[in-house]
Amino acid sequence: MSAILEIRNLRKQYADGTLALKDVSLRVHRGEFVAVIGSSGAGKSTLLRCINRLVEPSGGSIIVNGVDAVKASGRQIRRLRREVGMIFQQFNLVERVTVLRNVLHGRLGYRNPIAGALGLFSRQEIEEAKNILRRLGLHEQMYKRADELSGGQQQRVGIARALSQKPLIILADEPIASLDPATSETIMQILSAICREDGITCLVNLHQVDVAKRYADRIIGIRQGTVVFDGPPKALDDKAVGKVYGP
Amino acid sequence: MSMEVEWAPAGAARQTGRTETPARRRRDPVLTGAAIFGAVFFVFGLIHLNFDYGQLWKGTLAFVRSWAYLFPPNAAEWQPILAAALETLYVAVVGTVLAVAVAFVLAFFAAENVAPKTAPLVKGFVSLLRAVPTLVWALIFIVAVGMGPLPGILAIFTHAVGMLTKMFAQSIEEVDEGVLEALRATGAGWLQVMLQGVLPCVATSFLAWSVFRLEVDIGESTILGVVGAGGIGWEMANAMRNYEFDTASFVGMVIFAMVYSVEFATNRLKNRIRLRG
Amino acid sequence: MKRSGQLLEDLQKRKKRQIWLAAAGIVLITAWSARETDFSVVSVVRGFGEIVRFIGQDFFPPDFSAFRSLIGPAVDTICISFVAMVVGAVLSLLLSFFAAATTCPYRWLQASVRAVCSVLRNIPALIWALLLVAAYGLGTLVGTLALILTSVGTLTRAYAEILEEIDMGQVEAVRATGASWPQVIAHAVLPQFFPGFVGWSLYKLELNMRASTLIGMVGGGGLGFSIQKGLKLFQFQEVCVAILMVIVLVLTTEFITGKLRERLI
Repeated sequence: MSAILEIRNLRKQYADGTLALKDVSLRVHRGEFVAVIGSSGAGKSTLLRCINRLVEPSGGSIIVNGVDAVKASGRQIRRLRREVGMIFQQFNLVERVTVLRNVLHGRLGYRNPIAGALGLFSRQEIEEAKNILRRLGLHEQMYKRADELSGGQQQRVGIARALSQKPLIILADEPIASLDPATSETIMQILSAICREDGITCLVNLHQVDVAKRYADRIIGIRQGTVVFDGPPKALDDKAVGKVYGP
Repeated sequence: MSMEVEWAPAGAARQTGRTETPARRRRDPVLTGAAIFGAVFFVFGLIHLNFDYGQLWKGTLAFVRSWAYLFPPNAAEWQPILAAALETLYVAVVGTVLAVAVAFVLAFFAAENVAPKTAPLVKGFVSLLRAVPTLVWALIFIVAVGMGPLPGILAIFTHAVGMLTKMFAQSIEEVDEGVLEALRATGAGWLQVMLQGVLPCVATSFLAWSVFRLEVDIGESTILGVVGAGGIGWEMANAMRNYEFDTASFVGMVIFAMVYSVEFATNRLKNRIRLRG
Repeated sequence: MKRSGQLLEDLQKRKKRQIWLAAAGIVLITAWSARETDFSVVSVVRGFGEIVRFIGQDFFPPDFSAFRSLIGPAVDTICISFVAMVVGAVLSLLLSFFAAATTCPYRWLQASVRAVCSVLRNIPALIWALLLVAAYGLGTLVGTLALILTSVGTLTRAYAEILEEIDMGQVEAVRATGASWPQVIAHAVLPQFFPGFVGWSLYKLELNMRASTLIGMVGGGGLGFSIQKGLKLFQFQEVCVAILMVIVLVLTTEFITGKLRERLI
């Protein structure tokens, strides 16, 4: 199994001097479900956002399916991003538009700038979007405005949007942090089932260690910008958790 | 909201009964109607006004050329001009302050949650005051009392009372009903409920509207002079009538400085309040 | 904690003192201004009766026969305000992207656009009309141009403020799908922008209606001109009709725009 994502010596320093990522190296294989844990400010969010260049790395390399994300230029970044889906803690749906339209946003990277800007999608894309919604149980909500949905439903739309990109990798930045425990379970079940069924590699930031242990094939612990743990859930004992989280 | 049990693993979903497509939401017909009407009316308006586009072009050229006459601004007669500017400020201040005082009292009779019986009447009356532009009031008062700053003050006062009463009343209506209820339950009289319960809640927004109105009134005051109510508008009209463009540009700058410094000061104040917040 | 209690008390006292000082200041300024303009409330109250008599006797009953001749200027007034608003809104839409810190690439460009709009906005439309008459002559063109200038000034700033307050999270999410810049604008920025855009445009339409009724007084066409002419010729009862029409126009616009804005959210 080849490495679909390879990060070497990744470094990120913000303008005010904070060193968010010091020296991160890791390899992720196709189909893995990886949980990234660590306390707030440890660098989890920065790590994910460097992968799809929402944040500019200060040094190192990120190889996604053979292409170095750090060196990518304008058009290549677009191409990179459409192969990497992202799910957000605050859902980040465009609230005033319909659920269906939000899902179709995942296709923008595949459309030329003008057609996409005008919201012109092919009949096939629309059908596929509807199918994704059906798969996630949101068929009834298709034409509702995004802000009319509950938190859990909105996050499912977020997942649908990422799926419509037909991505190789899905990055999830604290996807359940804003949800209640019952809904969180549902979302994690959906995410892990879909990634397994479709063979999508998944990196999920979580701050709930127990959730990470239950769903992930592999856990990476970040502390102050470096990797301090990298292994299967059963290897994450109390001592290891202590190393990740606190003095 | 109960747990989302509609989701099921991929295979199962295709077998569950409901596969009809939900109805597409209809767009608000009033809004779309208004939008279409607007577009049509725009075209109608353009045709009706029948602009001479040749004149537009020529005028723009003339305007650009006349910039040479505008600069350097002629500040030779700065004394009467500055005196006029001061008079404009005085008119605005007196008119606004008086309007705030009167509107303050009127608002309590115009708010539907504290004076439901008189509210419609008072609101109707002040909306008439507000519907007549300050300048038109000035014209009326000039005919009634003669030229000078007095009609200007009266005009600003009248229009501002119209606007402020509405805004103050709105703020009063936004006070939480619970607060009023609680005070009434202690046995407080109407006046006490107003001053102890309503007033603290609306104080900041009254202040904000008053300052805003002052800003607007200074702007209005500058143009009152154009029709003879004194102040800097008079100087501007004079200069343009005599084709003294350079003087006019100086007056224009003074006007801009006056209006802008108020905007600037209020912005600073707003930011300071926000930081303290 | 005695210290913090004491601090709080001192702060309260200071605040109260500041409020009293400010209030005293306002009273002083007003009194000074009143003196400088020879204004006295007493004389106003005394003269009030005279004013009411004047208005009642000379303006009423309104001479409705003048109505027909005033329809033309009234339609002009409506068209001027509407056309100016639409043109102003379109221009401001483009400019606002350069006036908002979140969408403008260069700091200096943003500052200069804001400055120009400030000038456009803070010089009253009437003054603009005065300035433009020399170049464009009398008539509706001048009135419309003056209103376009002030519309651009107000709307650019209003739109820019909306742009600066949009939820960047939504923008980030659409960017993350690989969308190009115009697609991000169209799908993440514009939907959030839309209600404020229409709301402010309708508000400006209301303002324009009020202003365009006056523009006529400096030659800009419309009802203002009729009012001034009528007053000069002492035809008060006709002026009354014109003023009534102004009131009707303004109130109707206020009502319609208010209803539309309610439906928008």
